[in-house]
Amino acid sequence: MGFRSQLAITVGKTSQWFLHTFLKGGSSLPGQLALKIDPAILDTLAKDYEVVVVTGTNGKTLTTALTVNILRQEYTNVLTNPTGANMAQGIVSTFLSAKHHKGEKKFAILEIDEASLGKVTEFITPKLFLFTNIFRDQMDRYGEIYTTYQLIVDGAAKAPDALILCNGDAPIFNSINTVNPRKFYGFHHQKDGELMAHYNTDGVLCPNCQHILHYKMITYSNLGNYYCPNCDFERPPLDYQLTELKAMDNLSATFTIDDHDYSIAVGGMYNVYNALAATAVAEYYNVTPQKIRAGLAYDEKVFGRQEIIPIDGKKCTLVLVKNPVGLNQVIDMIGLAPQPFSLVSLLNANYADGIDVSWIWDGNQEAFAKMNIPQVIAGGDRHQDMALRLKVAGIEEEKIAEVSSIEAVIDEIKELPTENVYILATYTAVLQLRKELAHRGYIKGGM
Amino acid sequence: MDTRSLSVCHLYGNLLNTYGDNGNMLLLNYLAQKMGVAFHSEVVSIHEPFDPEKYDIVFFGGGQDYEQLIVSQDIQSKKEALTRYIEEEKVMLAICGGYQLLGHYYIGAHGEKISGISALDHYTLSQDNNRFIGDIVIHNDEFNETYYGFENHNGRTFLGQDERPLGKVTQGKGNNGEDQTEGAIYKNVFCSYFHGPILARNEHLAQRLLDTALAKKYGEVTTI
Repeated sequence: MGFRSQLAITVGKTSQWFLHTFLKGGSSLPGQLALKIDPAILDTLAKDYEVVVVTGTNGKTLTTALTVNILRQEYTNVLTNPTGANMAQGIVSTFLSAKHHKGEKKFAILEIDEASLGKVTEFITPKLFLFTNIFRDQMDRYGEIYTTYQLIVDGAAKAPDALILCNGDAPIFNSINTVNPRKFYGFHHQKDGELMAHYNTDGVLCPNCQHILHYKMITYSNLGNYYCPNCDFERPPLDYQLTELKAMDNLSATFTIDDHDYSIAVGGMYNVYNALAATAVAEYYNVTPQKIRAGLAYDEKVFGRQEIIPIDGKKCTLVLVKNPVGLNQVIDMIGLAPQPFSLVSLLNANYADGIDVSWIWDGNQEAFAKMNIPQVIAGGDRHQDMALRLKVAGIEEEKIAEVSSIEAVIDEIKELPTENVYILATYTAVLQLRKELAHRGYIKGGM
Repeated sequence: MDTRSLSVCHLYGNLLNTYGDNGNMLLLNYLAQKMGVAFHSEVVSIHEPFDPEKYDIVFFGGGQDYEQLIVSQDIQSKKEALTRYIEEEKVMLAICGGYQLLGHYYIGAHGEKISGISALDHYTLSQDNNRFIGDIVIHNDEFNETYYGFENHNGRTFLGQDERPLGKVTQGKGNNGEDQTEGAIYKNVFCSYFHGPILARNEHLAQRLLDTALAKKYGEVTTI
């Protein structure tokens, strides 16, 4: 290690200690300082690490958390970056804060935004890329799914020897050749049928001959065992497969992957995919089924993902929603919950939420109309848009209360007629709600 | 009991479906049901014929560049039928990419000229590394109605001689950021760049489409 790198690390670590000790918080400042002194510092810091990068539109955070938890059953030195700390300085800070035992294998499991991947692989050479899925995301609306995919393929190509472990059920991951070798995980849990995706689904064209894809099995959206009726394009053979979905409700799922039974303590098909992805990584690193099982039993809720908050006798489940596919998966998951329950849908349109609220019309809120939901609150800055969406979905107008302020929403929640309450909220609405709930003492502060 | 019904074509609905455009279909269905009018819709996509006699309303949304390119090739085989539908003064709503494809051409992401079907007299240029993004408000003097929406487009559309704008821009950019026009009206074809979706934000426009389609089908009976 050169003098410059040594200095950069020392300054970074010292400032991190200082910030942590005296200001009670971390930040990307230490990373920024270290990068100033040595722009290539990530090279040095990440040198002995087996770096695994998790990217894709949905499922990054939980997949990363599950992967970390599984690997920690086997290895002592597994570090990860906090959600959102995607940029170079955040990742430098992550490495600076690592405490590790000498001599043992070191893992870094990094959650990286699709758009940031190329910048990160400039500096570090991951050994494995995990691609979860690519869906239309209201937060990067002018990035089309194909553009986004090209971004992550190009990002991975800077570490050409690294394996891309990707969702085999997503046609886009089979659409172009990559310089990196690929392996696929997916579902093979049902007898073959003959299906097509719902018409309001993205990415259903065959990349070779531009016919509409057909499916032998669909899990959700455009994911499943696809094939082209006009040419030989089809789902590739799966290297890791889920062969049985034994049980799934709103709080848990039990399934079989590559001959072993596992459970997770979160509900919904999209979370089973996250568990499958994490298990595939673990199998790739030869973690035993016993340890995978222990790792998947992880029960700590991550930001806005099915967090349960008691509010004066109401059991409120808070779920972050940010794009149509994610919203539909949440609606499906809620459909598995015991009824009746009340529904709170909070829609903001700040930059982090997506300033265009059109995306709510790509959701299948029609499914709510078939559930036993005696009372609905439409809230947030764009409560009118949400109220109309729910009304058009078939929920009776007199069941829908419109409440704009988050403070008032909490008061209204206390008056709801059911014990169970589902709160769907966009990103800044989750932040506002948690802040107000912390202020009133319903939850501890922070994220 | 109303026995009237509307047959609606969702043109390329499985390929052009970004930005919540499907909400327009949902809203038409919702309002029709409230009026007691039966609403039947189906997607007509690539490799499928379009029968102009079969439908009372056509909805044609926008999509991603790739899907729009595929549609621009397929739609040439439906050009005659769609033109006949339009010339028979039947009702159509076209948003964003759908709007562009009804005109002469638009410019694709890589600068290539992509042909529409020239059923309407407009053409669309592109802008370099820029999009018109944001809230937009327009006013239609003829109907004395104000429309609200969200625009997000790279294309700059210029209207032809026999088209009128859907409205005059009072906030936002509109067709091209230059002439204060937004959207187009030709016979009973209504075009716009508005997302939101346009009919969800502007129920009176949705009602106008339904009333016009019903009048066309059943004679000039107003329903309100």
